[in-house]
Amino acid sequence: MHLTAQEERVLAGEEGHTRQKAMELVVALGDIYNASRLIPISSAQVSGASVKTIGSAGIKWLEDLAEDAKVSVRASVNPLGLDLRRWRSMGVDEGFHSDQERIVRAYSSMGLEPLYTCTPYLAGNLPRKGQHIAWAESSATVYANSHIGARTNREGGPSALAAAIVGKTAEYGLHLTESRLPKVRIELEEVPEGLAPLAGYLVGKIAGNRIPYLPGLKLTPDQHKSFGAALAATSAVSMYVFSEAGRRAKVDTTRIEECVSLSASELRRSAEDLRGGDDWDLVAVGCPHCSVRELKRMASALKGRKPSGKSDVWFCTSRKAYASCPKEVAALKRFGKVLCDTCMVVAPIEKMYKRTASDSGKAMVYLPTLGKQKASFRPTSVLLEAISR
Amino acid sequence: MKGRRIKAGFGRGKALVSTVPLSFLGGVDPATGKVLDPESEAAGESVSGTVLCFPYGKGSTVGSYSMYQLKLNGEGPAAIVNWSAEPIVATGAIMAEIPMVDRVDVALFRKDDDIIVDASEGTVEIVGVEERHVVTNILLRKGKVLLLRRSDSVGSFRGKWAGVSGFIEAHEGAEEAARRELAEEAGLIDAKLLRSAETERFRDGQIVWCVHPFLFEAKSASIKMDWEHQAYEWVAQEDIGAYPTVPGLQKIVCKLLEK
Repeated sequence: MHLTAQEERVLAGEEGHTRQKAMELVVALGDIYNASRLIPISSAQVSGASVKTIGSAGIKWLEDLAEDAKVSVRASVNPLGLDLRRWRSMGVDEGFHSDQERIVRAYSSMGLEPLYTCTPYLAGNLPRKGQHIAWAESSATVYANSHIGARTNREGGPSALAAAIVGKTAEYGLHLTESRLPKVRIELEEVPEGLAPLAGYLVGKIAGNRIPYLPGLKLTPDQHKSFGAALAATSAVSMYVFSEAGRRAKVDTTRIEECVSLSASELRRSAEDLRGGDDWDLVAVGCPHCSVRELKRMASALKGRKPSGKSDVWFCTSRKAYASCPKEVAALKRFGKVLCDTCMVVAPIEKMYKRTASDSGKAMVYLPTLGKQKASFRPTSVLLEAISR
Repeated sequence: MKGRRIKAGFGRGKALVSTVPLSFLGGVDPATGKVLDPESEAAGESVSGTVLCFPYGKGSTVGSYSMYQLKLNGEGPAAIVNWSAEPIVATGAIMAEIPMVDRVDVALFRKDDDIIVDASEGTVEIVGVEERHVVTNILLRKGKVLLLRRSDSVGSFRGKWAGVSGFIEAHEGAEEAARRELAEEAGLIDAKLLRSAETERFRDGQIVWCVHPFLFEAKSASIKMDWEHQAYEWVAQEDIGAYPTVPGLQKIVCKLLEK
């Protein structure tokens, strides 16, 4: 890989040990993927922020790095293992909280923005079309590549942080136009109400490691968010290509090697497969974090209803969205907890619950594994009915 | 041996070899350094202070942090050698400052070999083991390849079937050596070079044979053997398996003919 004189200086340690380590990481990954050079990034988003996912080794690593590291581009942090204000009411223990505080301190002393969300693009860290960025959260990378048109690989937590510190990433994978071409065409029938996450779930399974092309895809931005999150959870790809219904598609389809169709009945069958049980300890929505629009829609759907009290309820969202609609947040709080900074995937849910229902396709992948839950998928509207009467 | 630097630095230790991929999350105990993965022949051994050789990493990205934990606990390997680095182990090696080299064939290492890794230069040395560079010429004629049976007077692999092979002398390049051997051992001066392939390495006790393969087209079927061989035959590629050959011959023929 070709490095500029300035990059060589950083790699030689002339700008300090931490910048050297960060540069080593960026360069090593570039070498592994045969990149020819480094490119500047305009934004970073760092995962590995929950005590649950990175453990004591991760905490120590971040603290060591934080002694003299500073990010050099706009960078924000993924969800934590708890809500920094409401952790006690979540049922998180003191030890977990004090470890989590250490992670928070390390990230903030390095200059990362405390957004603590998987939807940085809804909370102020919004790249523009065509910009190169280094994002780690899988659902956010898909959204950035597919919906925003920015360019990022699915970074690991450490590599996204290293890129944020040196302000650059290696030019490989989805930074290159030819790597962004779809390889499998998936004809998706109209998606039944509430099943967009499962469409992503199944499209991911079909796609594997090939970027899918979905002609005539009709989804709202919020549906794109949950569709892409599930797709990233069941596949190795961090991007899909789509054309909107009724519009002439300008998509390069020369690399398509297979065409597959996915019917509404297959989506319904998948919903049936992921149904799980009917009794839940927890109903959790907001994976990815709820947008303001989603909070408002849920508040309005619950208008005039009373909490059923059958299970605990989490509405997971970002601080930004929480602060943007205080009236709706207050309405939702009658039915459960409105949590910021965290979600059911990275919180220590296994210590509190055994059976969790969610409207998220991504959560159906991680709740049974990372969260050790008996997971049940239900469309949002069904969950809202279940938690109210 | 020349590999590629992943994490600069210098490490020396006894080889611990796993010929199957390793995961640092669940596959190695960060507290003791013991390999837990039952599929690895290194299971039960500690990676601590060793030069850990395995083809590539697998498993969860949390493995990078586990490598850092291993190092903090004082149980980290002195160096890591991979065939093909992937992001999880590469990230972990850099986080934990463990010298690491890839693009080295880990099948060349034996457990407890004394290994020096100079990752800054990308080199790996097995102390006491010598590299010997040889050429192997495969002659092709009408879809068949030439096998020669090595005589009882040669220094190695007596009685085994081989291509036209020999040492590369200090003063010559590989192709030059290939043509010289063809003239000396087979009396061929007009064979046409079709292609060459990447160097293959084979471990043979305290020797690593570095074989530079060449494919030539022979114009006639008759060969003038010298003292190094006692018989020759033209053999179809699929029949090579029936002959007791020098190590790796079949692989070399495959590589030369598949392109």
